[in-house]
Amino acid sequence: MSFIEVENVSKTFKVSKRSAGIPGMIANMFVPKFEKKEAVRDISLSIEKGEMVGFIGPNGAGKSTTIKMLSGILCPDNGTINVNGYVPYKQRKDYVAGIGVVFGQKSQLQWDLPVIDSFELLRAIYRIPDDLYKKNLDRFVEMLDMGGFINQPVRQLSLGQRMRSDIVAALLHSPQIVFFDEPTIGVDIIGKETIRKFIKELNEQDDVTMLFTTHDMQDIEQTCKRIIIIDKGKIMYDGSLAEIRSKYGTTRQLIAEMNQDMEVASIKDIIIEKQDNRKYSFTFDNQVVDVNRLMHTILDTYNVKDVTVNEPEIESIIQKMYNGEV
Amino acid sequence: MKNDVIKLSATYTKMIFRSWFQYKVDAILRSLAVFMREATSIIVIYFTLTKFDSINGWNIYEMLLLFSLVYMTYGILIIFFTGLRDFGHTVRDGSFDRYILRPRGLLFQLIFANADWFAAVGHGGLGILLFVISAAKLGVVWTPLRVLYYVFAIIGGVLIQGAIFLFLATLNIYLLETNMLKEVFYWNMRKFSGYPMSIFHKAIQFVMTFIVPFAFVNYFPAQFILRKDDMAAYSEIFMYIAPFVGIVLYMLAYLFWRFSIKYYKSSGN
Amino acid sequence: MGLTPYLAFAKKSFLSKSAYRLDHWMGILNTMIRLFIFVEIYKSLYGTREAVDGITMTMVTTNFILSLCLESFFAVDDFYLSSRINNGSIATEMLLPVSFHGRMLATNLGTAVFKLIFHFIPALLLAIFFIGMEAPAGAGNFVLFILSAILGYGVLWSISFMFQMLSFWLINVWAIMTIKNVFINVLSGSMIPLWFMPKWMSGVINFTPFASIYFSPVQIYLGNIGAAEIGMCFVKQIVWILVLMIIGKLLWIKGQKKMVVQGG
Repeated sequence: MSFIEVENVSKTFKVSKRSAGIPGMIANMFVPKFEKKEAVRDISLSIEKGEMVGFIGPNGAGKSTTIKMLSGILCPDNGTINVNGYVPYKQRKDYVAGIGVVFGQKSQLQWDLPVIDSFELLRAIYRIPDDLYKKNLDRFVEMLDMGGFINQPVRQLSLGQRMRSDIVAALLHSPQIVFFDEPTIGVDIIGKETIRKFIKELNEQDDVTMLFTTHDMQDIEQTCKRIIIIDKGKIMYDGSLAEIRSKYGTTRQLIAEMNQDMEVASIKDIIIEKQDNRKYSFTFDNQVVDVNRLMHTILDTYNVKDVTVNEPEIESIIQKMYNGEV
Repeated sequence: MKNDVIKLSATYTKMIFRSWFQYKVDAILRSLAVFMREATSIIVIYFTLTKFDSINGWNIYEMLLLFSLVYMTYGILIIFFTGLRDFGHTVRDGSFDRYILRPRGLLFQLIFANADWFAAVGHGGLGILLFVISAAKLGVVWTPLRVLYYVFAIIGGVLIQGAIFLFLATLNIYLLETNMLKEVFYWNMRKFSGYPMSIFHKAIQFVMTFIVPFAFVNYFPAQFILRKDDMAAYSEIFMYIAPFVGIVLYMLAYLFWRFSIKYYKSSGN
Repeated sequence: MGLTPYLAFAKKSFLSKSAYRLDHWMGILNTMIRLFIFVEIYKSLYGTREAVDGITMTMVTTNFILSLCLESFFAVDDFYLSSRINNGSIATEMLLPVSFHGRMLATNLGTAVFKLIFHFIPALLLAIFFIGMEAPAGAGNFVLFILSAILGYGVLWSISFMFQMLSFWLINVWAIMTIKNVFINVLSGSMIPLWFMPKWMSGVINFTPFASIYFSPVQIYLGNIGAAEIGMCFVKQIVWILVLMIIGKLLWIKGQKKMVVQGG
C-alpha cells in the first residue's frame, strides 16, 4: 500500500440556491431551494512517501475539497482514504499531529501579536520538544530569511512575509506530510521564488511528502515532478510534468516594463520584440532557457519597473484535454 | 498529561492578555462598555421601582439579588464559553477547520483560545457589587449551608448557560445563521430573568423552568434565602436541585455536540 | 449623477437581507416575545390600578408596541465606516463617483425598507391581534406620527453617523457604540416609558436627542400633546438632525485629512 491511498472517493454538498430579483427573494424567504453539488466524483490516487505532487485545476474544481478530505476536515461520502496507516477523519488527534496544512487564503497566525508568539503557541499545542523546536525554528528562519520580521506583529507584515511565517507555522512540529493550498497566492515574484526554493529543499532534504494546489504553473514547474489535473471533481490527468509539458508546449513569454525609454540588446535563444518605448517582450522555449536566470539578467541589466511571465492558462490546458489535443 | 494541559491553557491565556495589551485604551473602554450595557437593566428597574415601589412583592434589593446572580455567573461564563458563544462566526469564516487540524480537543481549544477576561471583569464586577449591596441591605445571615449552596448554585448557573451556548453553537453546524435564535432563547431570557418569574405568563414560566431553565440560574437560588410568597406556586424541590440542573444539562448538550461534529465532517457546512 | 446609483445600493442591501430565512422569522418572534414580556411586567406593576399619573395600561402597551416595532425596522449599521477603514476598502470606495455618505444612507435605507415590510408590518399586526393597543387619536395624528417616525429614524441615523466618525481615531469602535446604545436604550423610552422617569431625569432627557427617536412619535400618535407641542417636537427633531450631521461632517473632514496624512 502506498503512503497516501485514495480509492473511489466522492463528495457531494447541498448548497442553497438563490433566485434572482425581488420575486425570487420573496419566494426564497418562504421555501428555500437547495441543489446538490458534486464537488468530487470517484477520485482514486496514490502517492508514495517523499513525493511532491502538484494539484491543479480551475476554481471550484474540487481541489480544496480533496485537500480537506485528505487532512481530515471532511469525510468522504463514498470511498476510502488511508494516509500513513490512518483514516484521517476518524483518528483525528493522532493523525493531525503528523501533518501540516497551509491555507494561503487563511492565516493561522495571531493577528495582533509578533510572529514568534504564534510559534510559541504552536509549540505548546503540538507538544514540540525543546530541542526540536529550536532546531526547526533556527533552520526555517534562516532558510526563509525571516530574522528581520519575526518580532513584528503579523498585522504589520507584507503578504509575502506573512505567507513565509504561515509556512513555518505549519512545519514547526516536523510533519511527515504537508498540504499546501495556494501557498503563493498574492505574493510578489521574488517572494514566490523564496517560497518555491524552500519547499523544494525541504522535500529533498527531509523526505517530506507534499501535495499542493495552485493556480500558478510556475509553482508547479519549479517544484513538482508529478502533477494531477482536476476539473469538475474528476481527475483529468495524473502523471509526470515533463510529459504534459511537452504536450502543451514550452513557449513562454516574459514582459518587462522599464522605468524609462530604452533600447534592449539581443540575448541568445530569445526573440525580443518592442511593444512600445518602455515595454519589451522576450519569447523563449523554457526547456532551453531558464526563466529565473533570464529574469535576473533583465533585472540586473535594465532599470525595470515590472516583470510578468505569461503562462499557458490552466484553463486552456484543460480545454485542450477536452478537445483531445493532449 | 495533566501538566501539559495546564501549560497549554496558560499559553493561550498569555496570548490573550498580550493581544489585549496591544491596545490598552481599547481594553479599558471595552470593560467599561460591558459594565454600562449590563447596568442598563439595573437603571431601568431602579427608575421603575422608584415609581411603583415593588413588583409582585419584590422590592428593589430583592430584585438586585436576582440580577447579581445573572451577572456573576455570566462573568465566569465568558471566561470559559466565549468560544462557544461566538462559534457561528468561527464556522462561517472557516477558522473551525484550523481547530480540527490541531491535535487537541476541539472544545478545549474553543474554550481556552477565546476566553474574554476583560469583559469578565465588567460583568463579574457588576455582579459582585450588586450581590454585596443587596445582601447587606436585606441583612442576609451567611450560614455555612447558605455559603455552600451559593457556591454550587453559581457553578450550576454557569453550566446551565454554558449548556445553552454549547447547544446553540452546535446548531451552527446545521444552520447558517443562528444569531436570532440566540437572541430569542438566550439574551431575551437572560434580560427578563432579572424579574421574578412568577409575574410572567404560565407559558413563559414553563419555558424558563424546563426549556431554557434560567429560573435555576437565579430565581430558585434567590428563593433559597428570600422565601417570597410567590414560591408557593412551585415545588420546593426546584430550590434544592438548582445547583445540579447545570450538570445534567451540560452533559446533554455535550452529547449533542459529539454527535454533530460527525455531521460537520460529512456536510462540510 | 442622480439617484440611480443610490437606488442600486439600497436594492442590493434590501435583497441581501433575505439570505437568512430562519434568522428573519426568529427576529419577528423575538420582537413578539419582548413585547409580551414588557406587557406582563407592566401588568404586574399596575396590579388593579386603572391609571398611574394619568397613564393607563393600554397607553403603556401602545408605547411598547410602537417603540419596539419601530426599533425593529430602524436599521443602522454602526460599523459601516469602521469595517471599511479596518479592511482598507475605504480608500477605493472614496474614489468612486458617488458620495460615501449617500451610499451609507442608501445601504441602511435598503435594509430599513426590507425590515419595514417583512418585520415591522407583520410584528405590528401580530401585536395588535394578540396584545391589542390604542387606535391613533385621530387621522391627523396618524399622519403626523408617520412623519415624526421618519424624522425619528433620521435622528437615530445621525447619532450613529456622528459616532461612526470616531472610527478615524479609534482602532475599535465597539465599546463606544455600545455605550452610545446604552444611552439610546435608557433615554429613548423603548425600555422604560418616559412618563415614569423621575422629574429631574425628564428634565435631562429634554436636552438630549434621544426622546426624539421613539417617544415623540408615540406621544403624537396617542394625542397626549397639543398642536404647539407637536410643532415643538418636529422642530427639535429637525434641529437635532442638523446639529448631529454638521458635527459628523466636521469630524469626517478632519478624519479624512488624518487618513490622507497617515496613508490609511
